[in-house]
Amino acid sequence: MQATKSFEQAFLKQMLLGIQLSAVSHGSGSLQERKSAIKLSADVAMAVARGSKKWTRGLIASLSKEEQNRSFLQFVLGKEFERPAKICHSSWKIPRSKNIVRRSLRFLSKRKSNIRAPNSSVLAGTLVEKRTQVLKRLVPGGQSMDAFSLLDETLDYAACLRAQVDVMQKLMTTLEASKHRADSDAQRPKEKFHLLPMVGSWYSTRKGLRKRLSKRPKLTL
Amino acid sequence: MSSRRSRVSEEEINELISKLQSLLPEARRRGGGRASAAKLLKETCNYIRSLNREVDDLSGRLSALMATMDNNSAEAEIIRSLLRS
Repeated sequence: MQATKSFEQAFLKQMLLGIQLSAVSHGSGSLQERKSAIKLSADVAMAVARGSKKWTRGLIASLSKEEQNRSFLQFVLGKEFERPAKICHSSWKIPRSKNIVRRSLRFLSKRKSNIRAPNSSVLAGTLVEKRTQVLKRLVPGGQSMDAFSLLDETLDYAACLRAQVDVMQKLMTTLEASKHRADSDAQRPKEKFHLLPMVGSWYSTRKGLRKRLSKRPKLTL
Repeated sequence: MSSRRSRVSEEEINELISKLQSLLPEARRRGGGRASAAKLLKETCNYIRSLNREVDDLSGRLSALMATMDNNSAEAEIIRSLLRS
């Protein structure tokens, strides 16, 4: 994926909506809580903006394992998230279908004999295998990927991560700059309100937010 | 693996590898010829880890910043206009 402008725009919008949403529930929480909420918004926004890829599904799955994330995910993803077998079940990683088991066994036996692996000479060697394992842990959903998919998904995931960082950085810079201007201009005393009232004034009820988010993003899982 | 996967060629793998190499920031690349797969994997892992750290750091800073925004601030207006577009 080329990190396109449309991805960045979709990501930004989705993230800001998510931040608003979490401000309703976490607005008066601890710094750590609010930080986690923003990170969650950013990650979900990245997955949603990208659409359906192995890593985006893997990311949503791992996020949903944590109890505190579930209501947010449910709200943003709606019906898609409710498919229990694929995501919420704690043992979803366990291969259930015969095909998955067959594929896993084949891949495992190929690891043992470097010569037989289709990706043999380029990716052979224990150091490569070790590092491939590390990469599998870093890329969401990586554990169940074959070597080719892993590389392919890694490329895509890294590009999206890069864009995520860039957009967040830009947002940060913009907000900081404007704040700096305001602070240096201000003669009158300024009252600092919390994020919660700010959200409250835009959408007075949760219902308002629901309307706003009614266009559910399509992330096929 | 499906039969499509088992026909993945050496060439396709190499292509992915060189794409990965060009994805990594300049400082991490080895100049000139193709890096070894092991080195590339290591650099990729490091790159992903550092990007994740940056996101984490930015999340903290954004949440601190947003906590101090008030309704009438220019920052709030920026966010509103971003959402309208």
